[in-house]
Amino acid sequence: MLSFILRRIVATLPVMAIVALFVFSLLYIAPGDPAVVIAGDQASPEDVERIRQSLGLDRPFLIQFGSWVWRILHGDLGTSIFTNLPVSAMIGQRLGPTLSLMMVTLLLTIVVAVPLGVVAAWKAGSLIDRAIMAFAVFGFSLPVFVVGYMLAYIFALELEWLPVQGYTPLNQGFWPWLENLILPSVALGCVYIALVARITRAAMLEVLQQDYIRTARAKGLGQGGILFIHALKNAAVPIVTVIGIGIALLIGGAVVTESVFAIPGLGRLTIDAILRRDYPVIQGIVLLFSFVYVLVNLMIDVIYTLVDPRIRY
Amino acid sequence: MDRRTVLKGLAGAGGLALTGLSAPAIAQGAAARTLRFVPQANLANFDPIWGTQYVVRNAAALVWDTLYGIDAQLQPQRQMIESEETSDDGKIWTFKLRPGLKFHDGEPVLSKDVVASLSRWAARDPMGLMIIAIQQELTAVDDRTFKWVLKQPFPKMLYALAKNNAPCSFIMPERIAKTDPFKQITEYVGSGPMKFAKSEWVPGAKSVFEKFADYVPRQEKASWLAGGKQILVDRVEWLVMPDPATAAAALQNGEVDWWENPIADLVPVLKKNKNISVDIGDPLGNIGSFRMNHLFAPFNDVRARRAVLMALSQEDYMRAIVGDDDKLWKPLPGFFTPDTPLYSELGGEILKGKRDLDAAKKLLAESGYSGQPVTCLVAQDQPITKAQGDVTADLLKQLGMNVDFVATDWGTVGSRRAAKTPPGQGGWNMFHSWHAGADCITPAAYTAIRANGDKAWFGWPNSPNTEKEITAWFEAKSLDEEKAAIGRVNKAALDDVVYAPTGFFLTYTAWRKNVSGIAKGPLPFFWGVSKSA
Repeated sequence: MLSFILRRIVATLPVMAIVALFVFSLLYIAPGDPAVVIAGDQASPEDVERIRQSLGLDRPFLIQFGSWVWRILHGDLGTSIFTNLPVSAMIGQRLGPTLSLMMVTLLLTIVVAVPLGVVAAWKAGSLIDRAIMAFAVFGFSLPVFVVGYMLAYIFALELEWLPVQGYTPLNQGFWPWLENLILPSVALGCVYIALVARITRAAMLEVLQQDYIRTARAKGLGQGGILFIHALKNAAVPIVTVIGIGIALLIGGAVVTESVFAIPGLGRLTIDAILRRDYPVIQGIVLLFSFVYVLVNLMIDVIYTLVDPRIRY
Repeated sequence: MDRRTVLKGLAGAGGLALTGLSAPAIAQGAAARTLRFVPQANLANFDPIWGTQYVVRNAAALVWDTLYGIDAQLQPQRQMIESEETSDDGKIWTFKLRPGLKFHDGEPVLSKDVVASLSRWAARDPMGLMIIAIQQELTAVDDRTFKWVLKQPFPKMLYALAKNNAPCSFIMPERIAKTDPFKQITEYVGSGPMKFAKSEWVPGAKSVFEKFADYVPRQEKASWLAGGKQILVDRVEWLVMPDPATAAAALQNGEVDWWENPIADLVPVLKKNKNISVDIGDPLGNIGSFRMNHLFAPFNDVRARRAVLMALSQEDYMRAIVGDDDKLWKPLPGFFTPDTPLYSELGGEILKGKRDLDAAKKLLAESGYSGQPVTCLVAQDQPITKAQGDVTADLLKQLGMNVDFVATDWGTVGSRRAAKTPPGQGGWNMFHSWHAGADCITPAAYTAIRANGDKAWFGWPNSPNTEKEITAWFEAKSLDEEKAAIGRVNKAALDDVVYAPTGFFLTYTAWRKNVSGIAKGPLPFFWGVSKSA
């Protein structure tokens, strides 16, 4: 297993290199110029050109790319064109809110979606099943920002239970941290809960028709034991897969959610960097996201072996 | 006790049991001493000379002081300066600093700091460049005295040093001010009324300013950037909110105290809230514009440009920007900011009265326009440019023009507009923008009105008459001379259609009623603002 994990980590390097080249090239050919944004509306073309020179944006593509790669190899993601701060520091600043949002959403999803999917499969065809699936379709159909605005209106403005916006780090208290995350996590989690609940239901339905479940029932095992010990463990592979893939959805959804709830996370940083053409920040974030995807896939593969001993690498 | 407090208490108790972490006790008084403000845009950098965005200028006005400050009567007033003298021939300016001025690092403000700061500012500012062009020397005489020797008189010197248009002549310590003006500074040490808390800066999300205990305000009453800048709160937090609906909700919920620029659509909701005040923020407002490229057909022919002016309805543009609130806009038959001393409508007939589409079409045909595509750049990510772009597209179609509507983002418009290539080869025929009214009071900082061909702003208008009258304004020695010159600038610029003004519009600002002392002006002023619990 250890050698498998090591091989997979080494295999990420060419993937990251291709992503890096792709992103760098894309940004180079994309229209827009950070010097223009920096210089402001009243600047002369000469001012803009001087700023371009000072930022090194006038240099040929290969030199810019080579110097960027050289820095990456030395563990340096570069410096933001706009803030003059190290990209790694900016990402570090924004990582906490995004990780918190993703963690709470993920937890919420597992706690809500898996039991819902199990119950729907258990009561397949019943009113409860149809109600759960209707909820899933509803959750899947509503855009994150619509759910976000609705939640903010009801729970923040009308009921005054929760704040509308912002983020408080965990070291300033559990409740201040959590209260800022409840509404965005629910908004972001709706799609995710719907997806996981549906997959859980489908996987459970398949497993519940297997002979060993029938045997367990014949042996007089209780419904809870059958569902959550025998069936769920065997239905876990597709559920784990969709939860893993869903992390990609979470990153995409976080961009919108962080804007709606003014959370200073990586999603907002990404949007700001793209709008300003802050190339080093965009490149740093894309590299980080690529690494996260690769890591999540690796973790899914490892979890497969834990839930299904037949899987070996 | 409200429901939120109960919920917070219950969950807080549970949370404490789970984590062992405790929430800080925030005293009511501490909350009242922190003013939470939602700025118009993201403070992404903090060098007011390197980057000239308004939001940077606004934040910088808290941290850095200026030698002179413009007041609400648009007059320059002494700020860091104790006295000034001008030689009889107007070529030598000698300034003396106020005693006791200190930077945030405890060091005194000296003449050498001023000399370095003015040199860096002048390299980036249009008026500063004019001074450099006639400069003989700028030197420190002693710790509190410095001298600017010119080869010829520059009557607008005090206005240049006081102006609020970016970049302002902020005074920094010499070691910082010696930074190349085209490179960013990394230390944010000023002598203004507030200190920048760099350790709490989350670019794009939060900026924090703390009261500078050693700041010595002037004795005069505060007026815009002049007078006694009394800070009545301990902290000012700028919270960036990219989503207007979220900012509106946060203001209603009491999570923020002051929102600089509420969008017109949300103002009715805010006005209904008994805890919120809404009023015009900046009486100098904004001037909408679209610029035509004078280098290429069809707009290289003045008849085509005039045809567009004859047909455009400023009311259409303004309603697209501000909605149905008639208090927020007025027609503008010219280029200068209404209700300011030099405002003129001379030559503005082409923008007044009933719009004449038939006459415009006839004039357009006379210009030789024969249906070639007109590339119209529109930034969709900015509500003001998007609204104007939609109106223009319709206008051009009514005129019978073949519109190539390029819907894109501001970053792309910003760089593409600099291209002098023909529209079909990456260039353009027109783009939309707007100018802060504070920049359009005189030609001093009004880049958009310049019409000196290759040196002019994008679109590169060439109007010798306009330029001649701008020079006359710079040389004017009395208010009457200035007024006369501005009238002639307005007429010449309209005759040659330097650009198309689409109207004058205002915006609101909104704040919680427990905040007082908010003054109307071209930027948010935090001195004199207090907050009760």
